[in-house]
Amino acid sequence: MRMRITCSVYRRVRSGSSKTSTSPTENYQLARRRTLQVVVSSLLTECGFESAEKAAVETLTEMMQSYITEVGRCAKANCEHTARSTPTLSDVVITLVEMGFNVDTLPVYAKRSQRMVITAPPVTNAPVVPKALTAGQKRTHPTHIPSHFPEFPDPHTYIKTPTFREPVSEYQVVREKAASQRRDVERALTRFMAKTGETQSLFKDDISAFPLISARPSSIPYLSALLPSELELQTLEETDSSEQDDQTDTENNPSHSADKENSVLPPGGVVPTGKANEENMIDNPYLRPVKKPKVRRKK
Amino acid sequence: MIYHHWDAIGTVVIVALRGVAPAGYVELTIFPTVMNLNRIKLNSKQCRIYRVRVNDLEAPFIYNDPTLEVCHHESKQRNLNYFSSAYTAAVSAVDPDAGNGELSIKVPSELWKQGDEMKVMKVYIEFSLDQPKGGLHFVVPDVEGSMAERAAHVFSFGNQNSTRFWFPCVDSYSELCTWKLEFTVDASMVAVSCGDLVETIYTHDMRKKTYHYMLPIPTAAPNISLAVGPFEILVDPYMHEVTHFCLPQLLPLLKHTMSYLHEIFEFYEEILTCRYPYSCFKTVFVDEAYVQVSSYASMSIFSTNLLHSGMIIDQTPISRRFLAQALAQQFFGCFISRMSWSDEWVLKGISGYIYGLYLKKTFGVNEYRHWIKEELDKIVDYELKMGGVLLHPTFSGGKEKDNPTPHLHFSIRHPHTLSWEYYKMFQCKAHLVMRLIENRISMEFMLQVFNKLLSLASTASSQKYQSHMWSQMLVSTSGFLKSISNVSGKDIGPLIKQWVDQSGVVKFFGSFAFNRKRNVLELEIRQDYTSSGTQKYVGPIKVTVQELDGSFNHTLQIEENSLKHDIPCHSKSRRNKKKKIPLMNGEEVDMDLSAMDADSPLLWIRIDPDMSILRKVEFEQADFMWQYQLKFERDVVAQEEAISALEKFPTPASRRALTDILEQDQCFYKVRMQACFCLAKIANSMMSTWTGPPAMKSLFTRMFCCKSCPNIVKTNNFINFQSYFLQKTIPVAMALLRDVQNLCPKEVLNFILDLIKYNDNRKNKFSDNYYRAELIDALTNSLTPAISINNEVRTVDNLNADVRLILEEITRFLNMEKLLPSYRNTITVSCLRAIRMLQKNGHIPSDPSLFKTYAQYGHFVDVRIAALEAVIDYTRVDRSSSELQWLLDLVQNDPVHYIRHEILSMLAKNPPFTKAADSSLCNEALVDQLWKLMNSGTCHDWRLRCDAVNLYYTLFGLTRPSCLPLPELGLVLNLKEKKAVLNPTIKSEQGPEVTSNMTFTSTHNFILHYEAAIQCVHVFTRGALTTANSNTRNESETCSTRVKAEPWRTPPVTLSSLTNGSTKVFCSWSELFLKVRFGKPFRTSKKNTKRTSFWPDFVRNDVTSRFRLKYTGALIV
Repeated sequence: MRMRITCSVYRRVRSGSSKTSTSPTENYQLARRRTLQVVVSSLLTECGFESAEKAAVETLTEMMQSYITEVGRCAKANCEHTARSTPTLSDVVITLVEMGFNVDTLPVYAKRSQRMVITAPPVTNAPVVPKALTAGQKRTHPTHIPSHFPEFPDPHTYIKTPTFREPVSEYQVVREKAASQRRDVERALTRFMAKTGETQSLFKDDISAFPLISARPSSIPYLSALLPSELELQTLEETDSSEQDDQTDTENNPSHSADKENSVLPPGGVVPTGKANEENMIDNPYLRPVKKPKVRRKK
Repeated sequence: MIYHHWDAIGTVVIVALRGVAPAGYVELTIFPTVMNLNRIKLNSKQCRIYRVRVNDLEAPFIYNDPTLEVCHHESKQRNLNYFSSAYTAAVSAVDPDAGNGELSIKVPSELWKQGDEMKVMKVYIEFSLDQPKGGLHFVVPDVEGSMAERAAHVFSFGNQNSTRFWFPCVDSYSELCTWKLEFTVDASMVAVSCGDLVETIYTHDMRKKTYHYMLPIPTAAPNISLAVGPFEILVDPYMHEVTHFCLPQLLPLLKHTMSYLHEIFEFYEEILTCRYPYSCFKTVFVDEAYVQVSSYASMSIFSTNLLHSGMIIDQTPISRRFLAQALAQQFFGCFISRMSWSDEWVLKGISGYIYGLYLKKTFGVNEYRHWIKEELDKIVDYELKMGGVLLHPTFSGGKEKDNPTPHLHFSIRHPHTLSWEYYKMFQCKAHLVMRLIENRISMEFMLQVFNKLLSLASTASSQKYQSHMWSQMLVSTSGFLKSISNVSGKDIGPLIKQWVDQSGVVKFFGSFAFNRKRNVLELEIRQDYTSSGTQKYVGPIKVTVQELDGSFNHTLQIEENSLKHDIPCHSKSRRNKKKKIPLMNGEEVDMDLSAMDADSPLLWIRIDPDMSILRKVEFEQADFMWQYQLKFERDVVAQEEAISALEKFPTPASRRALTDILEQDQCFYKVRMQACFCLAKIANSMMSTWTGPPAMKSLFTRMFCCKSCPNIVKTNNFINFQSYFLQKTIPVAMALLRDVQNLCPKEVLNFILDLIKYNDNRKNKFSDNYYRAELIDALTNSLTPAISINNEVRTVDNLNADVRLILEEITRFLNMEKLLPSYRNTITVSCLRAIRMLQKNGHIPSDPSLFKTYAQYGHFVDVRIAALEAVIDYTRVDRSSSELQWLLDLVQNDPVHYIRHEILSMLAKNPPFTKAADSSLCNEALVDQLWKLMNSGTCHDWRLRCDAVNLYYTLFGLTRPSCLPLPELGLVLNLKEKKAVLNPTIKSEQGPEVTSNMTFTSTHNFILHYEAAIQCVHVFTRGALTTANSNTRNESETCSTRVKAEPWRTPPVTLSSLTNGSTKVFCSWSELFLKVRFGKPFRTSKKNTKRTSFWPDFVRNDVTSRFRLKYTGALIV
């Protein structure tokens, strides 16, 4: 069986090599990649392929690279897991085992006869890792921290660095802003309500100008007209807490139940003594329980 | 007191809100005071009576209510005089004080003998109320849930004695009895009524409960009331015998509003040195109330809209005032009742007077004096405009000409015929007169008199009926006056005669001259006592003269013919000595005297400074005197008088004086508020010479704006109420400023818009709803009529730029109000007024539809009133008959009685047309509709009927409305007064009086208008009169004769019995004409009238042709 994978690897390599005006990092990576491709090609030749398509070789290279990367990553992870920083052979072995590779076959495979020797990749300079921007001066360890401990990170990672602008504190502008903001909110809200609901208009020719939310009769109109709105209550609570005025607070808290109300002390004024007994002492006919009807025996 | 009495009464009113008619029974125990009591007359309206039993015997009864339909249907009469007299007669016919009533029960003959022995009779009446239109008001909100969840409730109401609307009784204030009341209501409801709650018992099915009340203090039926609803109960924390009731969810408001009541109690008990007469007191707050406050024995019913939270400033004094009024009426009005209607002024006077004392104590002397001045101005204005208010009318006999108040279009004989406005003024005058009495006999004696009345009454109240002591609980004018003379030893007869027995106020004109030679002030005080509503004053008057050396009081005697009074001055004019000037209150001040007249030592003069006469004073003094008075006189009344006088002196000096007052924070805030408006007026008059920024702007900036940025107002802090009121008022007054083009200056408008923009209430303890509402009012005030070209249609595009800004604010406010409603929707109210003003000034198209939606049932009552006011205004301006019709429909159908009343009174205040002017609206259908409304449509509400009468009067006047076709009866012959005049319904009010053209020397004097007619009618009537007179003499005085026929038809003419006392013969000219032409005998037919032919032959031929007058008919009254 003859296998053939059409490929134009070499041409591509050639064309790649022809480009000399690349950066060192790129050169470095290209060189590695080329070596991998040579490996793949030799493996293919070893397996009996005569030719391969470029895309096929490329894919296989990719797979190879992924495999090797994974082995490296896992080996590193295994090593770090055991609190070391440099992977050892056993780390690699465990990795390979975990990845389902039969390690025992490896020596045999390595010593096979038809094995091709591949030249080492050309030596290129390892890419220079750009230096991280340092902000401020790194702090040295205080005396109680041994010197082998890691260095402090860059100061910007732990020092507060304000990034917003100075707020406007000028009274006039603040008031102006608050006023226009409130007005905008109100206008937007009322417009929205007007657009989504029924409206009445003051002009016959242009109904959309000055839309008025239509007046709806309510079944119990006095409630909304007399009870303070939630907003007002909220404001009141705020001002109360600032003024330490408990009086109005209790007054406006609608959650008191009717029974409780009678025991609640009068707002302001003098507090009658004996508050606890008060409740029991109040003898008001309206608070007395309703009597059961008398059973008439006549019937 | 007339002929019967009872000791105990038991009523059961089963109030079921679920569409079942309330039903119950009444049991009266009657002690006859006359022999042969065979008829018992009781008051009852709209009750369906099933059976009546007297001492367990079935008794026949007749029910007749003449007030249901005042004038009978067939009558074509449409003049108000006729209606008023008929209405008065109808009310008299059921007046319990005269022993009358709608329900007449015949005592079974078996008991007659017993009655002779003056034994007790027990009357038992079973009745039900089927959808009562008056007396009881049901409020049933249209929402999901049970009746209790829906806050459905019912309460009794009425104008004066209206208890007859909900149970049969003797509906008189002078018939006292003790009461036992039982109400069976749904288990979720609370029934509040008069007296002590003895017990509450479930019915057998446990679904309902019965409230048993006992009222051991003798009380008149009109003082009995009832309120049922799912009320929340609050026992007063200070006085456990006082219980407050409000509708669900309002308890926090109730607690706040009532936190103050105990102080009012303490005040009254202290000044009267008398404990509160009842053993308990209940306040009930209900929706859709008839009046703001009504007092009944041991309970008061208030409008729920008086409740407020602690954040509300403006409502607080108002609500407290109403509470104080209610409590004052508990003592005088409920506990102490009145002997008769003409004694009403004593009760109203005393309760109003002690309420005034409370005002003085709580709100201060300034507020009190301001209130007195306000009340005095009110009554003076009313009387000068409408004619006198008579406190104590006396009626001798029942004759028309004895009417003590002929200037009024209604009778004051009964509380139910009284116009509401008049009654309000009546109360106002009553308490002012009480104050005059106090001035005369000192407050100490006054309070002693009250204490005496109360202690006598409370002794009497604990007695049994048989002891005949109960009349001590009724106050009468004579009894009251006797008490006064016993206690004080002073004769207040002239005072009473002047103000109580006589109507009218005094109108003074004062001017003066200073005589330098004699160093005398020559004061001239003239009176106008000829115009309507005035009376002549003779007696002392106090004049206070502020001179350089101090303030001096002089008492002058006003006599018949003396106009001039010489008052010697104490100080010579000396200008150069720098010396402080002593004021009335002992204070000494520095004054800049450069403004005054060099020769005169007079700073200012005041006539009747203590308001001890019910008067209007128009006093002339120089502008600088008014300015000194404003600046240095410490009495608020003087300051207010000076302010109103200064309006006529637009000078820089006046401006300075007013600005000084505005800036003085010791000055009474209401004076400062008034000064704002005066300053605006002055600024407008001084437009061309005015320098500096618009009036009050810099002042406002200094007081209320930020120091660093003067165009921005401080965030709201209303902790100082005086400055709060000033802050509210200044923008409103400033908006009245006008520039040369008569427009509101741009600067002012922007200033107000900025106030709205920068208004910030976040840090405020109080709500700013009233403040914002006034800012909208300020915008309204700034509006001026639009410049219109060719009456174009108002569109958005040609909207004035300023108006656009205003409209934007109003739109936003009105829309925000839907999301965050303000207290009492004050902002909506102001917005509606503003929109109407925009319409009226032609900025936006005039259209009532917006207002009509806001006027619907289901909006808050203040909003509805504001909207209705706008519709009424639209009706007047645009003469829209459909809107008028819409309003009248509302009057007939609206569920809220108060709204109906308000529509009619607002219509009367701002009428679509008046009797003086022609209008397309004035047509026969409208006349008929209004006539029907007052004739029968308003029989369930006395107040509403009087309102309708008022409106009818405003629209058509007293006589026949001019738009009606002329009546068939043109001539009136008055048999009593023996004269004939043209039917008064025909002649126009302004037209010359029809005077006599020919006088007859026969036994009767006829005054006729048409000569030709006279000749004929004279002859005719002479005969007729003889016949009629002989008839009446033959029969009885009470018989009346009426001849009526249609024109151009032949007799028979009928004579029928009409009202008692007057003899009436109606006949028609056309008949005469027929008789004349055909010579047939004129016949009258009545069962006991002889057929008489009295047509003389000699007139047959010569008058026929001249008889074709447009006014056909003769009416003999």
